[in-house]
Amino acid sequence: MLDSTLSELESRGVSLIDGAADAEALEAARVEFLGRKGALALIGKDMGKLAPEERAQAGKLLNAVKQNLEARYESRKAGFDLAALNSRLAAEWLDLTMPAPGTRPGALHPLTQIQRELEELFTSLGFAIVDGPEVETEWYNFDALNIPPTHPARDAQDTFWLSDGHLLRTHTSPVQVRAMEKFGAPLRIIAPGRVFRNEEVDASHEHTFYQLEGMMVDRDVSVAHMLYFMKSLLAAIFKRDVTVRLRPGFFPFVEPGFELDIQCLICGGTGCPVCKQSGWVELLPCGLVHPNVLRSGGIDPDQWGGFAFGLGLTRLVMMRYAIDDIRHLAAGDLRFLEQF
Amino acid sequence: MKFSYNWIRELVPGLEADPKGLMKLITMKTAECEGVEEYAPWLAAVCVAEVLSVEPIEGSHNVKAIVNAGPEYGARTVVCGAPNCRAGLLTAYVPPGITVSGGKHVRTAKIAGVESEGMLASGDELGINRDHAGILELSGAKPGDPVPDCAPDAVIEVDNKSLTHRPDLWGHHGMAREVSAITGIALKDPVDMGLIPATAGAWHVDIRDFELCPRYSALVFDNVKVGPSPLWLQERLEAVGLNPISNVVDVTNYIMAELAQPMHAFDADWLQGDTIIVRRAAEGEAFQALNGESYTLDPSNLVIADARGAVALAGVIGGAGSAINEGTTRIVLESANFKAANIRRTSSSQKLRTDASMRFEKAQDPANTVRALARAVALFQQVCPGIRVVGGLVDSFQAPAAPAPIQLPMEWLVRKLGRPIEAAEVRRILESLEFGVAEPRPGVFAVSVPTWRATKDITIKDDLLEEVGRMVGYANVPPVAPLQPVRRPWVNEERLFHHAVREQCAAQGFTETYNYSFISEEMARRFGLDPDAHIRVANPISSEQGLMRLSLLPGIHRNLVDNARFRGEFRLFELGNEIHPRAAGALPDEVPHLMAAVHTKGDGRAALLELKRLAECLLPGCEVRPAEARQFEHPARAAAVSWRGTELGRIFELHPSLVESGRGSVLDVDLGAVFRLGPQVKKYTPLRRFPSSEFDLSVVTGLRELCGDMQARILQAAGAACERVAFLYSYQGAPLPEDRQSLSFRVTVSASDHTLSNDELTGIRGGIIASLKAAGYELRG
Ligand SMILES: [Zn+2]
Repeated sequence: MLDSTLSELESRGVSLIDGAADAEALEAARVEFLGRKGALALIGKDMGKLAPEERAQAGKLLNAVKQNLEARYESRKAGFDLAALNSRLAAEWLDLTMPAPGTRPGALHPLTQIQRELEELFTSLGFAIVDGPEVETEWYNFDALNIPPTHPARDAQDTFWLSDGHLLRTHTSPVQVRAMEKFGAPLRIIAPGRVFRNEEVDASHEHTFYQLEGMMVDRDVSVAHMLYFMKSLLAAIFKRDVTVRLRPGFFPFVEPGFELDIQCLICGGTGCPVCKQSGWVELLPCGLVHPNVLRSGGIDPDQWGGFAFGLGLTRLVMMRYAIDDIRHLAAGDLRFLEQF
Repeated sequence: MKFSYNWIRELVPGLEADPKGLMKLITMKTAECEGVEEYAPWLAAVCVAEVLSVEPIEGSHNVKAIVNAGPEYGARTVVCGAPNCRAGLLTAYVPPGITVSGGKHVRTAKIAGVESEGMLASGDELGINRDHAGILELSGAKPGDPVPDCAPDAVIEVDNKSLTHRPDLWGHHGMAREVSAITGIALKDPVDMGLIPATAGAWHVDIRDFELCPRYSALVFDNVKVGPSPLWLQERLEAVGLNPISNVVDVTNYIMAELAQPMHAFDADWLQGDTIIVRRAAEGEAFQALNGESYTLDPSNLVIADARGAVALAGVIGGAGSAINEGTTRIVLESANFKAANIRRTSSSQKLRTDASMRFEKAQDPANTVRALARAVALFQQVCPGIRVVGGLVDSFQAPAAPAPIQLPMEWLVRKLGRPIEAAEVRRILESLEFGVAEPRPGVFAVSVPTWRATKDITIKDDLLEEVGRMVGYANVPPVAPLQPVRRPWVNEERLFHHAVREQCAAQGFTETYNYSFISEEMARRFGLDPDAHIRVANPISSEQGLMRLSLLPGIHRNLVDNARFRGEFRLFELGNEIHPRAAGALPDEVPHLMAAVHTKGDGRAALLELKRLAECLLPGCEVRPAEARQFEHPARAAAVSWRGTELGRIFELHPSLVESGRGSVLDVDLGAVFRLGPQVKKYTPLRRFPSSEFDLSVVTGLRELCGDMQARILQAAGAACERVAFLYSYQGAPLPEDRQSLSFRVTVSASDHTLSNDELTGIRGGIIASLKAAGYELRG
């Protein structure tokens, strides 16, 4: 009697569970058969009235039916859950070609970037990075650098003079002397910074630009040492080996003085408009520090020697990015600045 | 300075390098060349032609000429407009297909109805002189010959800046000496000192200031016949950029270009007395120069005078009256030496730079004056037939002490060069440049400097290192890594800090700009700054750039206005120095500032808060409090930024009158002050082990009461248990009266040793509320 009730119950349960159209129907079937007050629970309660030997038999039977229905229920439920999840996920499609919210990072000025790059390079070579004032005294800018009072560089047409009797430094070289005073010998420094020349501004001339001064003072510093540093420096700047040539150049603060040219990176030395068909591009003046300059910095030229160089950062930036107009660098135009 | 290739080759006979090769040698060993250009290459194709017949062309000022242009071209018909085109004339013929001076291309063409096969040319068209009044009149040649004594040349242009220390290189002979040293080919000296008669001088010189005029030499000539120079001389001068004038003047210019010694010829008959006086000008002395200008002199100017007055501004320009003219028959030829600094000063104060002053400024060699006179005798004999030297050398000088030889230890030289070099090689190089080399003790040279290098160029052994190094060639110095020990470099913390600030700004969306250090008076006033409080540029490029900036704001404001033409919302920043005057004599205070700005089209609230966030990123825990607005600030949107108790910045919106395109908001931080405060000391607080509890409070306040103040008040009232008080939102509207707002906060509390009980929580909350009520605040909800 119980057998047939159970088996009828089981087959009805199976058909309701397996045939449930959706999660709600499945849940209704679970309540009806497997719920706390469901059909199986009621039968379980009634089994207490049976004789003990019948009860064990009936209990087994009931359990089997229950397990069957539960397993079917779990499997159906998992199916509905998965379908529900899938349909939710499908609805959550997102167009990731849409712009990201928030502010884009800004750009650092190309002159800042090149300064940082060179600062890191020189730090790794043991050079300290030193700053000097943009407003200088005549002594630091000229006298201390062995530039005589009659030198054309002192003419008002090249130098900005200030109402307080000072001047705007025309090069970063005064920092050589300030650094020697501050640190003494031996010494390895670079000094990047803003310099000023009283020049009309056009596509290739600026009255405000950036230089990087370098100086090494030690025992027995030679032309060969300077060449080694210059080659390392240029390889790091241009990320490749560059062919350089050194030719005589006259600057009062070095003796001997040189102009360092690099083989034109555009044409490889065969000649093009960038190098004015010469195959070479003038890159930096350098030389062994003049004994008078060492003396200005309080260093004995009989004991110490050094080399110094000046790198035009503005020119370097223009070369690197092929910038056609120097005025862009101080124009504050975001359309330009955001490219770096 | 322009150098003629042919001229150099005359002085270095047998030179094999072509013009380009020569330029390279000079560049690599001596001085920077700007380029090399062919000079009058057409002269290779131009030939002498005889005009056989001339007939007029109706209705034209031109004539039709039949010329005999020699065996190669034969008889040619040419149309010529020159007034001196006449039968029997020997002139220059340019065949078709040749381009002459000024890019003029000659071809066979119909002119005035007549087919013209080529052209008869003037000196100007051939680049020989500047005469374009008529075609060349030649002699001593036959049709088909090249134009006599004229030839194609090449001109090497050397950068004047690379010659400032080399007085000797302002003449071809000096450059030829370099070429001779580089190539090893002997140098030819064009000077024959024997040409100066060994008799007493026919004039007198009275130098009244030997410091300004160390030497004055002269020769007197008579039987002078002034006329044009031969074509070769004219072409030479033209090639190096000098204007041929007359035989006498051309000779002085030729010698200047050859020996670097400027000279001047006076018409002797015009001079009063027989004495040249070299003296300082009187205050206000008037001087009429041969360029037609008159100058007012002062005692800083040196003049050459006769008994009457100044006849030349020494070393710069000759006078009008005594200048050589067509009727001149007797000349006094000056070859003098003047102090470089004084010539430079006169030249710049009188705003007159001449070929002579340019050379004297470089400190010319006093020993050169007599050489130049000897050279003049030779050249005058060539170009001024019949001329006679009258008397002997007129010469007055105070011999400068010869400098002691420079001691040059070979060991030092090798150490400085960084590569071995034989003493014999050093000697060879120095001697090829005409240094005297002795070896008083082994391994040390005593080097005497030739007079033309001794005026300022070479004084110490380092200068000799350069001579040896450049002649060895730096390509022959292999790079060597120095063996000095590596030391950890000093760290520039302030610079690193500035870089970190830049990084932070960029990360927050701000793009970096660089503005000039100069501003205009108008800009200063616009931003409430007194122009007189600024340091002024004494010689600004324009009045727009006359002040050294006391604030980055003018530049940043310009950036905002400029960029607003292209976009509505953007962010930018600058890190740069303000220049503040200090007490007299002291260098100004250069104060690094950060200025960041946002331009928006909206109500501007978000922009200001964004700048506040940037400030908080840079200065964690900074305090931003409303401050009284300055004239250029939005009156209700200005705040001071303080960090660790120091006010060091400001956030504000620009007054709408300054930004018509939208709103401009600005953060200004004194990075010098920030850096001086030093890095913030970080302190660890143990994590709270027991859970915290939260409750919200809404306080009704006046509309302009500060959120920050209320937050601080709650924090204080909450006592030690309070972890934080966070602002949630503000509310205005019903049921609140119009003049009230409510500010809601979330208070987080906990204890370090137990979990707070409900009673404790209620107590803390009650305490805060009681404290707020006691201060007159109502709470909501
Ligand atoms: Zn090139």
